[in-house]
Amino acid sequence: MKLSLYRLKQYIDISLSPEELANALTMAGLEVEEIETVGKIPDGVIVAKILSRRKHENSDHLSICEVFTGSETLQIVCGAPNCDTGNIVPLATIGTVFPDGEGGTFTIKKGKIRGVESFGMMCSAKELGLSEDHKGLMLLPGTFEIGKPLQEYVPTDTVYTLEITPNRPDWLSYWGVARDIAALVGGEVKFPAPENVPTNLAGDWSNLVTVEAPDLCPLYTARVIRNVKVAESPAWLKASLAAIGIRPINNIVDITNFVMMELGEPLHVFDMRFLKGERLVIRRAKENESITALDGKQYSLTENDLVIADTEKPVAIAGVMGGEYSGVVSDTTDVVLESAWFDPASVRATSRRLGLSSEASYRFERGADRAMIVPASMRAAQFIRELASGDVVSPLVTVAEPEPPVRVIDLKYDRVRSLLGMDVGNRRIDDILHSLGFATVRQSESGASFSVPTWRELDVMGPADLAEEVARIHGLDKLPDVPIKATQSDISGDAILPITHLREQLADVGLYEIVSNSMMSEASAIRGGIFEPADLIRPNNPISLDLAVMRPSLLPCLLDAVRYNIARRNFDLGFFEIGHVFCANQAKFPEERDEVGIAITGCAHPERYSKERGQQLDFFDLKGIIESVLSKRRLASFSFVPATDPQFNPLCCAELIIDGKKAGVLGQATDELTKGMRLNTPLFIALIQLDALFSASVKSEYYVPVSQFPSVSRDIAFIAPAKLRNQNVVDFIRKLHLPHLESVSIFDVFEGKAIGEGKKSLAYSLVFRSPDRTLTDDEVNVLYEKVRKNLAEGLGVELR
Amino acid sequence: MLEELLQKLQAITADAKTALSAASTPADVEAVKNRTLGRNGAITALSPMMGKLPAEDKRAAGMAFNEAKQGIQAALNEANARINAKKAEDAPAVDVTLPGRMWPFGRKHPISQTIDACCAIFRRMGFIAVTGPELETVWYNFDALNAPANHPSRDPQDTFYLPDGRLLRTQTSPVQIRTMLGSKPPVRIVSPGRCYRRDTPDATHGVHFHQLEGLYIDKDVSLSDLRSTILKFAKEFFGADVQIRMRPHFFPFTEPSVECDFSCVMCGGKGCRVCKNSGWIEIMGAGMVNPAVLRNVGYDPEEVQGFAFGFGLERLTMLKHRINDLRIFSDNDLRFLKQF
Repeated sequence: MKLSLYRLKQYIDISLSPEELANALTMAGLEVEEIETVGKIPDGVIVAKILSRRKHENSDHLSICEVFTGSETLQIVCGAPNCDTGNIVPLATIGTVFPDGEGGTFTIKKGKIRGVESFGMMCSAKELGLSEDHKGLMLLPGTFEIGKPLQEYVPTDTVYTLEITPNRPDWLSYWGVARDIAALVGGEVKFPAPENVPTNLAGDWSNLVTVEAPDLCPLYTARVIRNVKVAESPAWLKASLAAIGIRPINNIVDITNFVMMELGEPLHVFDMRFLKGERLVIRRAKENESITALDGKQYSLTENDLVIADTEKPVAIAGVMGGEYSGVVSDTTDVVLESAWFDPASVRATSRRLGLSSEASYRFERGADRAMIVPASMRAAQFIRELASGDVVSPLVTVAEPEPPVRVIDLKYDRVRSLLGMDVGNRRIDDILHSLGFATVRQSESGASFSVPTWRELDVMGPADLAEEVARIHGLDKLPDVPIKATQSDISGDAILPITHLREQLADVGLYEIVSNSMMSEASAIRGGIFEPADLIRPNNPISLDLAVMRPSLLPCLLDAVRYNIARRNFDLGFFEIGHVFCANQAKFPEERDEVGIAITGCAHPERYSKERGQQLDFFDLKGIIESVLSKRRLASFSFVPATDPQFNPLCCAELIIDGKKAGVLGQATDELTKGMRLNTPLFIALIQLDALFSASVKSEYYVPVSQFPSVSRDIAFIAPAKLRNQNVVDFIRKLHLPHLESVSIFDVFEGKAIGEGKKSLAYSLVFRSPDRTLTDDEVNVLYEKVRKNLAEGLGVELR
Repeated sequence: MLEELLQKLQAITADAKTALSAASTPADVEAVKNRTLGRNGAITALSPMMGKLPAEDKRAAGMAFNEAKQGIQAALNEANARINAKKAEDAPAVDVTLPGRMWPFGRKHPISQTIDACCAIFRRMGFIAVTGPELETVWYNFDALNAPANHPSRDPQDTFYLPDGRLLRTQTSPVQIRTMLGSKPPVRIVSPGRCYRRDTPDATHGVHFHQLEGLYIDKDVSLSDLRSTILKFAKEFFGADVQIRMRPHFFPFTEPSVECDFSCVMCGGKGCRVCKNSGWIEIMGAGMVNPAVLRNVGYDPEEVQGFAFGFGLERLTMLKHRINDLRIFSDNDLRFLKQF
């Protein structure tokens, strides 16, 4: 909302500079977002009078004027339609500097326009930055002295743009802001009391207003004013609206807007000619009723919408907008002035449902001040009499429910001090609350009961709200520095720390973390063939089809990140992501879980040289990354077993088993998944359940004694069928339960013509060691022979 | 005869030393050694003369032999050392300017780094980091937090709803509710995580964003404790020069409510484009937890009170690293990710 400081000063004496006041308001919760200086007339613009006007020979629209400056007569070429003889206008003399609207300036110079000399520029209101009006020259009143600088007549104003929090509808007016400034920095307030409105008017007006929905409209007032003359508003009224961005329309509409800005109460005026039966009925709309509002659009209404109707049809959407065919027009003479209180929730619901909001609905849905309804109506009636020569013929016709009781809040002064952690005295608390309109109802030693003023009744509910008022006015900058307290909390187990550690472990093996959208298209989500459309969680109101479903897996995110980078020629990639994934099919996984995804492709060591440079990442790099991290995490039991999964190449796919349960899957992404990515190297992906990692059993923290005796090692090589797996061999040897066998490790795999089709050569190193003595060659040889014999017999391998 | 022997020894020694001083390869040295001290060398060849000497000369001859052998050996050693030194000098050294064989180290995403850094700071002040689901009920996300029934943030225009009436959480505050329902005061937590709002993606909005909220409930936690906590956080995160200011504001969840500005990290508070010349940047919303919220989780507002705060992690990260478009966070471009 915008406020003019010039207008604001009509309601309160302010001694602060515009900047000081803005800062004080901001620090009291009424944030001044922008301070604009307006109406700064450039030096050199004077009041001048047009002495004559003739047509420019070389132009259809230009005129040549003789203009008197008070000391001389200048020839000015002018394009405005209204540069008529006798008009008093602003004249920018030679040398006047104007802002060009883009941060620079331009200077008025003597010039020739289509061959005719011109010695200055006559100005429109827009050119002077006074309003948006650029239809013609700004016409000045005859009271302005010719030759005087225009600055002397047009004061510079400051316009604030305020951010008003939704709990403070009382700040949506000059009066409301003035009231708070008085509490904040002092200064005498001047209430714009209505004057010159006749009272004790006779006549029976009881049929004028019928309220059929008192729950939504507990207070309605109307007044009939006849013989109004609809016309342009006087300059001061237009200027006061234009300054804060409200377009002047005509005197009646401008008056309602002015009073709304002054007192915060939206008003509405009906043309009586368009009210069938000259009656106003405040009722719920009927199903399928509709209205064309002032914006020219037709709105269908429901029984939840409150309308103002005549005897036949709705003439306004209550508190939101008037009807197009019942408002004030140029030949309007008799009007009904409405000032009422509408239920905030009802106005908000209607406004939202219709997608229609207005200055009125903005205020009503936040809560107008009940106490301001009568003064606002009186104030508007006063102006309609004064500015539109209207005859007030009816008293204020009021239909009201009993007033709700005033809220009273019991406050302990200590509670304020405790909440704020600030030492504020009892007297100071009283003073602050009194200055804001709260009144002491009862007083005790330790506290008091305060009544809440009508303009705060929807906001201030309890002691905490009163504490906020004290903090706001006393100043949050007075909060003391206090030491950080210690706590003994029952909550154990930091939920982020384990994730932080895992992230660091994954980064430490060379991976970069990515953060992807949780929302994606259905087509992306079901890539990989694990999930079906019915498995997906879909918001009702997605922002687009590309963001229509929640990701069921990190796979599509990893694919997207790889595709994005390959397209930018980042070929050597190692990514991981940790995040929530979602599934509507309980059989697949229960709704929401955390997943870890890893993707690698390209060269293992792009920063190296010679032979190492070309070394491509393969399945064993991915597996190694996982093994490194799991080892770092000291997992007690994990293994990789061959698997099939639609996301992976069937020849290169494994499941990760932790503690005997499937914890994830890894392998080479299928060609189907990488199609169109222009990958030069295979892509390897792993998807692991975070829960399985975090709940995995870990190795004992007790130490294992380290043997001080030497080890003895023996190598064993054999030709095996190509399908024999390393794990089969290792498990086989382990199952022999040989004494002193410390480790079995493969050190060579070879396949080739020399070995023969369908075969491979494997070589293992066995290490034996005793914790308490040196083993002899003889005893190791016995064990070694046992292995050889068993391998040959048990696995059918051909020993070498 | 002794005289003759001594002369020969001297001549051989002198000859050997001359040859060795000219020697340039180990083979040259080896040749000198062979022809003097070797099995068929000149010195060795003189040994039989010893036996023929009279007894009184033997001692002198023995000493001369030793002297000659030692002299030649010393010259041999010297020549070898010289040749080795020359060889070492000529040998090509390891080109230490070639790239090292780096251990691969990746990086955490900048948002994660901010989450981790924030959690670490708050942990030092006694907060525990907790998490919760992203699919939430209306009660946890709005009702329990005292959001009015007709609050605009509940509108399907702003919030993603699921067919069963639940929603994608719009804030991490539901975690505060879950935590308070699950434990007795004192409660001192931070909850970082992903949230969703129906914003059209642009430089400062995305459909998802990350937020960190804090909550501290105990018997005597005050607005001053909030201010001191935030000040300490600001200084640890952005540096000791950062100042904070609090302005009254309005949030249904808190009463009193404040907005907390940090002195502009770009200009140090002097005024710049980022802070719109105010010297301050709006960072977080905060306040004293509304008594209605405490009642919703079964706490007695007469017995306990406390503060809550919340801020956007993207914004903090953008300010820290001077990033001006948050869409880059989920582009996941390696060249971006490598910078942090």
